[in-house]
Amino acid sequence: MNPVLSAGEKVRKWAGEILPVPTRTLSHLLTCCLAALLVFSVLTPQSAHARINVVTLPDRDTVQLTIYNSADLTLVKETRHLTFKKGINKLEFSWANTLIDPTSVEFRALTHADEVEVQDVSFPPRVANTLEWRINSEFAGDVTVEIRYFTSGISWSADYVCEANRNETQMDFAGAVRVTNNSGEDYENAQVRLVVGVIRLVQEIADLARAGKPGGTPTTLAAQTAPPAAARALRMEAFGAMATADKLAAAQPREIVKEGVSEYFMYTVEGRDTIPNGWSKRMPSFKTDGVPLTSYYKYEKERWGDQVIRFYQFTNSVANKLGKEPLPDGAVKAFRFVSDDLLYAFVGRTSVKYIPINEFVELELGNDLEVSVKPTLMDWQKTDLQFNASGNVIGWTTKETWEIEVQNSKDIAVVVDIRRNFSGDWTLTTQQQYENVDKTKVKFVLPLVPRAKQKFTYELVTRHGTNATR
Amino acid sequence: MNRILCFAVAGLLAGSAAHARVKLVALPERARVVVSLNNPDATLVEEERIITLQKGVNKVDFSWRGVNIDGTSIQVRALSHPNDVKVLNTSYPPNENALVWEISSPAAQEERVRISYLLSGLTREVTYRAVAEPNEKSLALRNYLRLHNNSGEDLTDAEVSVGYGSNFKKTIAHEEVLEMLSERIADLPIRKLLTWDAASQPWDPEYQKNTVGIPLSYVITNDKPSKLGTHTMLPGKVRIFIKTKEQPTREGEQVGEGVAFTGEDWAQLTPVDREMKLFIGQSRDVKVTQRKTKDDKTNIRRNSGNNIVLNDTDEIYKIEIENFKKEPVNLVLVEHVPGYWKMIENSHAAQFKKKDAFTFEYNLTLPAESTGEKKTTVTFNLNRLNVQGNEPASF
Repeated sequence: MNPVLSAGEKVRKWAGEILPVPTRTLSHLLTCCLAALLVFSVLTPQSAHARINVVTLPDRDTVQLTIYNSADLTLVKETRHLTFKKGINKLEFSWANTLIDPTSVEFRALTHADEVEVQDVSFPPRVANTLEWRINSEFAGDVTVEIRYFTSGISWSADYVCEANRNETQMDFAGAVRVTNNSGEDYENAQVRLVVGVIRLVQEIADLARAGKPGGTPTTLAAQTAPPAAARALRMEAFGAMATADKLAAAQPREIVKEGVSEYFMYTVEGRDTIPNGWSKRMPSFKTDGVPLTSYYKYEKERWGDQVIRFYQFTNSVANKLGKEPLPDGAVKAFRFVSDDLLYAFVGRTSVKYIPINEFVELELGNDLEVSVKPTLMDWQKTDLQFNASGNVIGWTTKETWEIEVQNSKDIAVVVDIRRNFSGDWTLTTQQQYENVDKTKVKFVLPLVPRAKQKFTYELVTRHGTNATR
Repeated sequence: MNRILCFAVAGLLAGSAAHARVKLVALPERARVVVSLNNPDATLVEEERIITLQKGVNKVDFSWRGVNIDGTSIQVRALSHPNDVKVLNTSYPPNENALVWEISSPAAQEERVRISYLLSGLTREVTYRAVAEPNEKSLALRNYLRLHNNSGEDLTDAEVSVGYGSNFKKTIAHEEVLEMLSERIADLPIRKLLTWDAASQPWDPEYQKNTVGIPLSYVITNDKPSKLGTHTMLPGKVRIFIKTKEQPTREGEQVGEGVAFTGEDWAQLTPVDREMKLFIGQSRDVKVTQRKTKDDKTNIRRNSGNNIVLNDTDEIYKIEIENFKKEPVNLVLVEHVPGYWKMIENSHAAQFKKKDAFTFEYNLTLPAESTGEKKTTVTFNLNRLNVQGNEPASF
């Protein structure tokens, strides 16, 4: 019995006999080499050694990439059409120069599922990055199969651009996702799904991939990740293929569909994409105009020294024109429009943590020279001394009078949050409104109109030694 | 020159144009360049170009070599048809400083686009030059912005914005240093001040081998009456000159006007309404002698081992000041006292000012030629209270 393959594929028989085949592209041939899949009969005795002659496979019908951002992990799902014969069929799958985890490769039949069953899977000796399934089929003919595996080397990240209006009361907020493919493999016309969430991995996928087979000895990273020259040629071709596909697409940014799954959130990019090995691609995810914003300034000497740090605050809620989805962690760049023709001033850049729906968000954007806070200790007294039986001082009380000068030299109103840290048994007296953050920290919040200066004082009494009651 | 800022547009409608990275359709010139230096940590460049888009999806290639662009910061915005022309995605090829935008256009049209990115290597420096009037009551201040362009990029006819004042239009080539006048203020009032600080100056000049100079400063206030007060003054070197008469070198010449250099200092960051104090030299015509004439321990408390565990003090200080100049002089005396203290008696209460818990000052105007019998004498008597020897001296 000869190899049983789907129609229209290049076929090579066991003993090197070549059958006429339709012409294939270079791209296709190289894809074959990278992840070869072959069905052959076990009835031919020398089949076990025939592997090296194999250059053929049925093409992928669909590819889906589910990319995680918390770990170097991507779930690849591909479907292919295979032609089975009744009885035992052998199927070979190989993946040179990629970062596929051999322990993760799974096979299942999507059609005739109850008639097609994997008997076992073998990782043959002296051959790296190859496995063979022995599949028992009670059906002869075309079967659609799904092959699923993990790969490392594909990652995605979110990033955001915030464009504040001149008064810093509103912003246009846009999110994008960027997918980077360093997996060694070109996944052409793939459906891309992005997972926001933290999953647990007990072993790194990249380490498993480098092992070549389950329990194998890892080879060097370079050997696995450096793509051969041919792969680069393929990549260039693949880009052309992407362009052709895209020209047919509607001239609108792709929609990114969002859905919650367990503790995770999944973004599915509309349509199909090709991200050739080595490339990355950034796609807009959402843009919302007129999101209410507060320009908020913080001063805390213990944290930032004498600097006043600017924050943009907003809430990821429907009331604030957001709140449709949690926002993945990512880099943020903030700009402010400074002219009628929308020229930018660069406000700062930061990274945000994962933002659940309805979460209040603060973007830390660095020092602003035009807002200043200057605390001065104006008076210090030591009183109420206590002595022990030997006449040594064992208790005393200090009273500090502080003056805080807050200044807004900007043309727009701002809010300044001043935190003061006190230790020991203290009592604070002031005319200024404040809030206890915790037992050692208080917060004064002062709204300041443009070009305003404000001063307030407080008195801090601290009981030391035996005078302290807490 | 190993630097390129390359810009190419390729329409996708022709099948052969699919490989946009190779087939350049247009290389549009920059229509406008704006360099924003508002943020001290990063330089933002915005450049506008007019590109010709075909109907459908266009690939726009932007690449740079030898230019210090933060690749993650690059953005493009459509200006002519912001609602119709859309950026579909951005692709980043491996191992190249390049990106490819896919931009959709509903029609074949020209589009003005604005590309923004953060550029490193364009550093700035602020320097000040001032010329004081001979009476030292005012000066003319010029504020210069010095740009060092090591960004790899030639910025031609760039509008440079520093966040205040109006923009400049300048061309600054790679590796060029360009200095430009950013502000000029005439008749800016100044206060000339001598500062004698008890913590850093010798108390008794008689015991010094050399003449003790007293630090001389010009004080500028960053406020409206001083024709300033619009923005925080940035740190930088200040060089101060003073107008002088230029004596004739030949017979028949008139007395001319010239300048002499009087000193320089680093200006500190000065927010609006704060003072910028520039220490530019020393005065040797004022002599300050400070002596402690009383230092008694009182209210002594001892422990069972007869060691003093607590006491008060009674301290008297006497400061004698002579001004040998023919003009009155402003002098600030700075005194430091740690811990808890109370002023008991003070010869110059009107000139006394507590600056913080452990510092006070006398702001004195010394009459002209107030020497010998006419010298100024400041005395104060203070008590330090509940002294254990571990009191704070700063905060």
